[in-house]
Amino acid sequence: MTPSPARPPLGRRLAKGPGLAVLLATLLLPLSAGAGLRPAYGGAVRILLPGAPKVSDPAFAVEPADLLLVRALHATPLEIDAQGRLVPGLLEEVPAAEAGGRAFRLRLRPGLRFADGTPLGAADLAQGLERLISRQSPHAWVALPVLGADALLAGHAASLAGVQVLSDREVLVTLAFPMPEWPWALAAPPAAVVSPGGVGAGPFVVQSRDASTVRLAVNPYHWRGRAFADEIVLSAADARAAARALSRGEAELALRPEAAAGVAACLPTPPLLVTLAAVNPRRLGSGADGVRALVNGLDRTALGRLYARGPSAPLATFLPPAVFGAAPATPAPAAPAAAVGGPPSSRLVLLASADAPDQRAVAERLQVKLFDGGVRAAAEVEDGPRFAARLAAEDYDLALVPVPVLSLAPALAAGQVALSTRGPAAAVRVMAELAGLTPEAALARAAELTRSLDLVPLFATGVRASRAAGLEGLAIHADGGLDPGDLWRRRGEAR
Amino acid sequence: MSALPLLLAALAAAPGTAAGSSPPSLSALAKDLSAAMGPPADGRRGLALRVETRARSLAAPLEAALSDALARMGYSVTPTPAGEDAEAAARRSGQDWLLRVQAGLVPGRRELALVGEVIPCWESFFLQRRSGARAQAPRLVEARQPADPETLLLGREDRPPGAPFARIRQLARIAGRVVALAVGDAGDGEAIAAATPETVLLLSPAGAELARREPDHSGWRPVRDRSAALAIGDFGGARLAVQFAGELRAEVLARRGDRLEPVATLEAAPLCAGEGGVLFGQFAPGKSTLLDELTPSVDPDARPRSPRELYGASAAPRGGPIAFSILDADLRLELLGPTLETAAPALPGVGVGFALADLDGDGTAEVVASSPTSSGEDRIRVIAPLAERPVIFESAPLAGSVLAAAGGDLTGDGVDDAVLALVSRGADGAPVTDLLLLTSDPRELP
Repeated sequence: MTPSPARPPLGRRLAKGPGLAVLLATLLLPLSAGAGLRPAYGGAVRILLPGAPKVSDPAFAVEPADLLLVRALHATPLEIDAQGRLVPGLLEEVPAAEAGGRAFRLRLRPGLRFADGTPLGAADLAQGLERLISRQSPHAWVALPVLGADALLAGHAASLAGVQVLSDREVLVTLAFPMPEWPWALAAPPAAVVSPGGVGAGPFVVQSRDASTVRLAVNPYHWRGRAFADEIVLSAADARAAARALSRGEAELALRPEAAAGVAACLPTPPLLVTLAAVNPRRLGSGADGVRALVNGLDRTALGRLYARGPSAPLATFLPPAVFGAAPATPAPAAPAAAVGGPPSSRLVLLASADAPDQRAVAERLQVKLFDGGVRAAAEVEDGPRFAARLAAEDYDLALVPVPVLSLAPALAAGQVALSTRGPAAAVRVMAELAGLTPEAALARAAELTRSLDLVPLFATGVRASRAAGLEGLAIHADGGLDPGDLWRRRGEAR
Repeated sequence: MSALPLLLAALAAAPGTAAGSSPPSLSALAKDLSAAMGPPADGRRGLALRVETRARSLAAPLEAALSDALARMGYSVTPTPAGEDAEAAARRSGQDWLLRVQAGLVPGRRELALVGEVIPCWESFFLQRRSGARAQAPRLVEARQPADPETLLLGREDRPPGAPFARIRQLARIAGRVVALAVGDAGDGEAIAAATPETVLLLSPAGAELARREPDHSGWRPVRDRSAALAIGDFGGARLAVQFAGELRAEVLARRGDRLEPVATLEAAPLCAGEGGVLFGQFAPGKSTLLDELTPSVDPDARPRSPRELYGASAAPRGGPIAFSILDADLRLELLGPTLETAAPALPGVGVGFALADLDGDGTAEVVASSPTSSGEDRIRVIAPLAERPVIFESAPLAGSVLAAAGGDLTGDGVDDAVLALVSRGADGAPVTDLLLLTSDPRELP
């Protein structure tokens, strides 16, 4: 139950940044801590999202809708509680660091079962870590610090050397380098344990799904007990349709960037979706400095305010301010556009993702900024898989990369961002460099790493949870997540 | 609502209240005090009696009982009316003694206490030049007796002018989230039982911890909203029984020093207990709510009365026409008589912190109810379901959520109070519960 020593409890860290502390303290409380009320069982909770969930595999889910589906279907070894602390999930307790922060003994609760009733054991936990080590998984960062991850990734080993199954309920994980905050990775959705048949152990199971809607039914075996709602319905809706559905009582919750009018309450989630500009010096050659300087010259506060529809914060480093537990730092003044080496003479390729919200608008703004600096850029907006493939192949001059940061530990968050932008080797390097640092030291080091990764930080965004009257139990956690199993619909006459 | 003043007036004005027909407690107490006085010394038999008490109804019956007891001891008693200097009046009328008695209920103990000043009033030959000088030093006499119901009723102080019907004050603060409360005689007198998911506590009426137990969680089937059923009553081997949602059976707990130890198990959830009896039920499988199943004893063959689910049940501590209440998941409070028949129309919009308690002593329990709101503040209402204007008290907003309540006499004045579990977050973000006392005891009123 004790938080990892390398990462003080969020509440304590937040005390250093009063602005964010107040914001998060508000977020951490249940949105509707109804007085004189206790949860009622039954009914359906209908949730509207920017897009219909498509991916339910924790190793591959990236989009907000997919991550919500993963949280509904799967259970993680650890969790983050309402106070932002690391608490046991499938594990019996938060593992203590051994061997100077290089080893962790993970002990599962007794009697765990997947949603299909099959037992969930230590082998499943070990397998869950191994399956993340794949060039295709955007979440390999969870397992990359584990000893032997590089060999497995390179195909030189068949399994993770650092993962030993000790008994039916116990796994020993040895890391390649000391990283006392590694257990925080076990609270991220990708760390969820999946059965060999792909079944999860979360509060719900898929009842039916089509192109626009996923219906979920209760998993009677969930370790925290039966969910309150009998059914969760996830579907896509644009801003106008979501507002209309909430006001008409046709939906209970909308998780979208913009606030819906006329709802009982609307709360922002922490801005953890970072947008970075990745410069490709290999293609830009001597022009890279000029491009970097032009992007650096953008007013990031205005960029977030004008082009991001959700709550936003300017980035000072490649990591969101929330992971440092500090108020968002004001980025350094814009550098002059006149750049060392001068701008590239040819038209550069500006790669952007079609899946993440707001990216197209930001790309257009960036095009204008570059043009003002004498650089012509062609924005090429690609859907998820093609975007990822081109990013991995460095098939761009400048790329706008959105990364939904899933861990609140700076080293792990850095690993995730570095993996998404520069690949596994860079991810391991930044994790090793930030491991064990205090938030203050990590913040200073992150600024240096931002430059070494050749990333230009822009802004971080979140979404807003718009709740209709009658929905209770909504608590946005510090990592932006929520447990759909806690949602319930109020019955009877309220005052 | 209006029965109490009439009853008090009848008791106080009854012609036979004097002497032998005093409530037994008053007679015994008067006898004890006169025994403490002792027989008249030196033939000084003349005694002026002044009784002073904030309970106006008590003064006359107590004066009568004392007059009788002192007369039996050999004194010639003359009551001194209120409003004049008792000692001056006693001297003027040539009395040998003035006995000035202060009377009142002992807080929290259901006892009546008398403290008397025995003041000599005869003129001292040696001090006759100094007017009013006492021939001897006065002395104190005291007596205390458990109060019977009649004496409790008489001893209840008058409500201060302009005072509200009731007052809410803090009794204790408990770490964790109290999900069930019970009040009753747990074996050593009135006590409060409180259950958090981690602990069962037994507390004194003043909120001091007497004993505790950390339940064994190993057999639990997990439940998201960890609730409990808790009651103090007759459960065979001991008087406290508890069942947590997710557990297969209830435990009967006995106090051993500062520990509560299981002495038996029950195959039903102890929902509530009062003078009207005990109610048992069953948790819905895998849920924190209860089936609509109410039985006066553990009955394995019992079946739910309806498919609805319940949040809990409450018993009136002293029974009466409204003996039980149950709250369903639609926040509708059903009011039931001693045989579980409908006793009054159901109340809608009642929060999960609710209890029955006869706060005004009229023989019919009132409903103490939290408010189901979506805000972070709660309010407590006291509702007299059979009255013309049912809401007789509404509290100021309370920061937090009242998740449990129970009725019982905690101030010792013989009239029910209610204890409430106000759950909020402490400075470290962890849940804490303030146990609040809601009382109409005039001694507590501002």
